[in-house]
Amino acid sequence: MSSPTPDEKGVSRRSLLFGGAAAASGLVVGAAGGVGGAYAAGLHSAEPTDEGQDVLDLSAEHAFYGEAEQAGIRTSQQRYCVYMTFDMSSPLARDLQVLLARWSGAIAQLMKGKTIGQVEPNRVDGIGVDTGEALDLAPAGLTVTVGLGAKLFTDQYGLAAKKPTLMRELKALPSDAMKPELSGGDLSLQACADDPQVAYHAIRDLARMAKGTAATRWTVMGFGRASAGKGQSTPRNLMGYKDGTRNLKEDVDFDKFVWVKDSGPAWSQGGSYQVVRKIQMNIENWDADRVSDQNAVFGREKQAGAPLSGGHEFTTPDFHATGADGTPKISPTSHVALAAHENNGGIKILRRGYNYTDGLNQYGLLDAGLLFISYQNDPAHFETIQAKLGSSDRLNEYISHIGSGIFFVPAAPKQGHYLAEGLFA
Amino acid sequence: MQLSSSTRRFGAAAGVVAAVALALTACAGGGNSGAHDAAKPAASAAPVSNGASQVKVTLSGDSGDTCALDHASAKAGPVTFTIHNTSSTAITEVELLQGQRIIGEKENLAPGLAPVKLTLTLGGGSYTVYCPGADAEEQKFTVTGKAAGQADGSVQTVLAEGTKGYGTYVAGVLADMVTAVGNLNSAVQSGNIDEAKKEYALARPFYEKVESDVDGFVLPGHDATDNSGNLDYLVDMRQSNLDPAVGWHGFHAVERDLWQNGAITDQTKQYASELNTNVTTLADLAKGLSYKPEDLANGAAGLLEEVQTNKISGEEESYSHIDLVDVAANVEGAEQAFAYLQPGLTKIDPDLTTTVQGQFDKVTALLDGYRDPSLAGGYVDYTPQLKQTDASKISLAVQALQEPLSKIAEKVATAG
Repeated sequence: MSSPTPDEKGVSRRSLLFGGAAAASGLVVGAAGGVGGAYAAGLHSAEPTDEGQDVLDLSAEHAFYGEAEQAGIRTSQQRYCVYMTFDMSSPLARDLQVLLARWSGAIAQLMKGKTIGQVEPNRVDGIGVDTGEALDLAPAGLTVTVGLGAKLFTDQYGLAAKKPTLMRELKALPSDAMKPELSGGDLSLQACADDPQVAYHAIRDLARMAKGTAATRWTVMGFGRASAGKGQSTPRNLMGYKDGTRNLKEDVDFDKFVWVKDSGPAWSQGGSYQVVRKIQMNIENWDADRVSDQNAVFGREKQAGAPLSGGHEFTTPDFHATGADGTPKISPTSHVALAAHENNGGIKILRRGYNYTDGLNQYGLLDAGLLFISYQNDPAHFETIQAKLGSSDRLNEYISHIGSGIFFVPAAPKQGHYLAEGLFA
Repeated sequence: MQLSSSTRRFGAAAGVVAAVALALTACAGGGNSGAHDAAKPAASAAPVSNGASQVKVTLSGDSGDTCALDHASAKAGPVTFTIHNTSSTAITEVELLQGQRIIGEKENLAPGLAPVKLTLTLGGGSYTVYCPGADAEEQKFTVTGKAAGQADGSVQTVLAEGTKGYGTYVAGVLADMVTAVGNLNSAVQSGNIDEAKKEYALARPFYEKVESDVDGFVLPGHDATDNSGNLDYLVDMRQSNLDPAVGWHGFHAVERDLWQNGAITDQTKQYASELNTNVTTLADLAKGLSYKPEDLANGAAGLLEEVQTNKISGEEESYSHIDLVDVAANVEGAEQAFAYLQPGLTKIDPDLTTTVQGQFDKVTALLDGYRDPSLAGGYVDYTPQLKQTDASKISLAVQALQEPLSKIAEKVATAG
């Protein structure tokens, strides 16, 4: 977490603090007096302590440089996210190195709410370095998280020996309906912020910076948070269900399941494997399904989020509980049952998803779904869970995995250094 | 650094001028590169080694974003600036200016990358080290000794020669266009539709090679907003920018009749004849043009914009589908403009020159894959199927060229 001096923050910066979506417990409605108050609330409220607080503070900022992981993984989840992948268009490791160095410097600036260079150049005939649409906007909690695709760790770039131990393409899994144009990539950027224009500006300027070295491949605009971090209220996916109730939240679980700690290359330590899936929903069919069936599909009550075995949202589901007729209260093929760590050898993954829409499809149907992003220290963990879901999840009738990618997300660079520097040492 | 760029202006660095006042009285001691305040350059002239004065430029973000020189003066002759970004994220480029003109520069100076060297031969006089994004963006740099006009003049002279050469190129293209449109007109008047189609494909590239230089002419007696006197409209209007009050004219009116209607009517003959007159007028008017270096750079950028906006979509040649002929012509015209700037630009920014040339080579190699010598235009038809599979590939390659190319104009600008 950064600790900029108050005068660095500047009094011109917009500082808004207000309560977010009504959470079941403890809604913080801030009316912080003056910039200093908002500033203090912003930095510290990023990790609220009570369950269910949802604070939106556009002056909040996160540090890019540091001694641990990149921001945008453990970071309290922002409301908007733009995700983009790139194909390398240069065959040279040197070009990749320069791009990662330039991206690092630019991301550090962007996360402070600053421009990456002149918007209006001094000279006649000059082009702007920064495209300008985030001028006067607050940092809005922006994080930009950079991932590296499997193809980079090959002999083509002379980096095969530096491959993170478990880096590889994902296996084909049951129910995969991948479209090549929505899958893969050699680099990924996940830009999340509480102001969508701040997130988009970051992606746009970083994509521009990449030209000549890497070309855009596919992108998803996430308009709504669909997973909860520690202390955040549980948001809902587009099926209307709370998503992320049982998400991985505790530091001990991050250490056990998210961060890479192995005998692999030194530069890869403290990183994580990012899996991303574009999951299309058959919205209209879902909306026409009776809610009792929807509940059975998920294994939870729609409104309260409680497991069908009883209790409230955070009650641990009882997968052995049976009803009067002797059948399980939570169907073994419900989404919750198949995904639960209790039924997957204890495996947990960190989910950090967003709802997306691409408007209407060619048939006039709503084209929308979930931008699923997960972090884990072994890609097999995702595969284990998704293999079960893909083969038996009752939800499969209403969803389709149409895009996929896997990227290694290295640890944050220290000040004065750049992302994945050890890769080029 | 502030959110707004408005503070980053020339002349805003009064503090720097004061700080450098000491350096202006520097004696030519040399060799003393001992420790001193990083923000203040040593009073002595830069030491000479390997035949060049050695100046260190350090970019740091440790206390604000600073761009520090270890020496603020050097003796006339070769000067090597060794630029190292230790920790500044805000400063990614350093330029040496004489007046407002860029003499040399280095980009992509991200923190953590190895130091880079910029070596220039400087005559005596006053220079500015410009670090956009630094708290103090400008540092004075003084070169003592003979004011070798040569080092100053040579880039400008070379660039000026380039613009003259480019002017000759444009005149040649326009003369060829007049000939080719004459042939098209003859074919149309003879009523031979196959011949006319062939001549159309042969006539198209010339305008597309130089369009950004000649698309501003208005016929005498017409207002600039009146398309009936706008030569670019009359020569190159498309269905997508049809002005109903003025109607169809020029190349694409002929194209529509030949391909879509499949017939040469009296109206078609009228279109061809009028086009013939208008391109002749255009070539005459263009004889008065002269070019500044930045005109070549902006013109080249304009031609690549043409590729992205009208050709990738297949909109330009929507009846004949010879869009790739136009794309190749746009790219050739842009590359010619760049080539005439290249000798001067190489002196200013060799890295950028290499980058742009490299991207031109990639685009050209990609386009070569679409060549078909059996067709009049020399390229395969840009069919809907080809567009479906290849449009993004072409667009991405041109984008990768556009980005570095767009930086050239300000480097070569003589204004100011």
